[in-house]
Amino acid sequence: MGMDEQNGQPVISVTDLVKEYRGGVRAVDGVTFEVRRGENFGFLGPNGAGKTTTILTLITLLRPTSGRAVVCGHDVVAEPDRVRLRIGYVSQDIAVDDTLTGEENLYLQGRLYHLDRETIARRSREVLEMVDLTARARDLVMTYSGGMRKRLDIAGGLIHRPEVLFLDEPTLGLDVQTRRRIWDYIRLLREREGITVFMTTHYMEEADQLCDRIAIMDHGRIVAIGTPSELKAGIGGDLLTVDITTGRRGTRDGGVQPDGDGGLQDLLLTVPGIKQASRASDGRWVLVADRGEEAAPAVLEAVGRHGLRVNYLAMKKPTLDDVFLHYTGRQLREDEGQEDFSRRRTGLRRARM
Amino acid sequence: MNSTARSTATLLSDTWWVAWREIKRFQRQKVRIVMILVQPFIWLALMGNMFERMAHVPGFPADSYLDYMAPGVVTMVTLFGGIFGGMSIVWDRRLGYLNKLLAAPIARSAVVSGKMLAVGLQTAMQVAIIFVIAMLMGVSFRTGPLGALMVILLAVLLSLVFAGISLSFSAVITSHEALMAVVNFMTMPLMFTSNAMMPLSFMPSWLQTIAKLNPLSYAINPMRSLFLTGWNVQELLTGVVVLALAGLALGLVATCLFRRSLA
Repeated sequence: MGMDEQNGQPVISVTDLVKEYRGGVRAVDGVTFEVRRGENFGFLGPNGAGKTTTILTLITLLRPTSGRAVVCGHDVVAEPDRVRLRIGYVSQDIAVDDTLTGEENLYLQGRLYHLDRETIARRSREVLEMVDLTARARDLVMTYSGGMRKRLDIAGGLIHRPEVLFLDEPTLGLDVQTRRRIWDYIRLLREREGITVFMTTHYMEEADQLCDRIAIMDHGRIVAIGTPSELKAGIGGDLLTVDITTGRRGTRDGGVQPDGDGGLQDLLLTVPGIKQASRASDGRWVLVADRGEEAAPAVLEAVGRHGLRVNYLAMKKPTLDDVFLHYTGRQLREDEGQEDFSRRRTGLRRARM
Repeated sequence: MNSTARSTATLLSDTWWVAWREIKRFQRQKVRIVMILVQPFIWLALMGNMFERMAHVPGFPADSYLDYMAPGVVTMVTLFGGIFGGMSIVWDRRLGYLNKLLAAPIARSAVVSGKMLAVGLQTAMQVAIIFVIAMLMGVSFRTGPLGALMVILLAVLLSLVFAGISLSFSAVITSHEALMAVVNFMTMPLMFTSNAMMPLSFMPSWLQTIAKLNPLSYAINPMRSLFLTGWNVQELLTGVVVLALAGLALGLVATCLFRRSLA
């Protein structure tokens, strides 16, 4: 089968997937989606949204409560071994053995996938070269930086030429520069290996940069799915964020101050070009406008006319952050994962002593 | 038939590669190697001298306490080594390595059997070292090189029993503190209600009863015969068979618990 024929066929197909843990927590609550061959598909959502549970189900480590998942043509429950042979998995923990060298880590990984010595040697050279670790291959991993460990971990996931690579939070806990380098490697591996990538992330920018299509996940459900530009377009225009204080002063032309949130919303919606107006949890108003540049002065005008004061006004083209907010009503906090990660690391370090 | 043979070969090779990692890790951790050399020396020198007078008590079964103690040290070191099997799974789970192993197309049971193999190999090496040290300290040994091999075999089987126990617990217990507590709760009483350190005849009768039922005696008694008196084939065979069956059974229990914990 030629490459062209293969492209576009679903390589992952998930139907009504549910995973309920003992104690009744529904981590994944009826998820349906498909991933096409050769695409980079991302699960985006906050911690606890069910992303990792979904991945663990797809890589056959968790048995779904109900629903069906087919990966590379094989059911994950009925034929887990066939699935395992065809996929690579890089967990969010940097799971490399630091008492081994980089080369030894790859050698072991190759052996666990039943490759022979020659194949492992050849593939190791290729993947090490790809993640720029050739020069350090014979050093113990304990001398590697966090970014190098992550690169080695990714290289290990590729050793057996998987059809799909599962990347669970590939840049969790890495600094910004390292994160960007990892992005470059992820792009490169798609170019060179032509494999399908399924990744999870709670970094908007990461999903935006790397994914062809994104599923936004919240509370175990997919709330939106599409290409980054489709999702952004779904918001319907540019975004204006406005902070309005309701003053006690009288209005300039004898008009009355609008009454409460409802009144203010009605007022904002009368401004030409404003299509939506809603109040965010921080008290600011989020407005959607066809052309933000023209809507902004009109909003200032209208609000001032009713004796209210604008303390803050910002305009921007929508990002996935806004998409997330739009679909879930909540802000996706970038620092959440970082905190969680460092807390866990500290816990580990303490435990080691 | 052919596919059974192939899956057995796969299981063996998977087992080896899981163990390979443990062996490599062991080689790299210099401190552990030093401890393995120093520990039996300390046990023998310290305990041997501390209790030396006990050998003068009428009815003591050996000429020197050191001679009596040597199989006890072998047992103790074996016991602690066996526990390590479960600890390493708890660690692997913590570090995410366990998921990496399980995501690979290896047999599920290879994770358990690989850790057990690593424990067994390490025990064989440790006991060989204890032998050398004991000989250097003048411990007498009656049954020659073949007897020494038998002591190693008994120790390896005993370590597999303990690896099986700790691996079974590690399938259920996910924190290493808790696992350590449970395992210590078992090992210390096992050690001190056995005749590893003290002859049965020196114990109060209630303790003698417990000591006779203590599974450790299946290893200690034949070992002690090999050290002090000579070949007792029936005792040796019983020990080997009982320990091998117990190790196998516990390995299977661990595999089942482990499989169940994954669903």
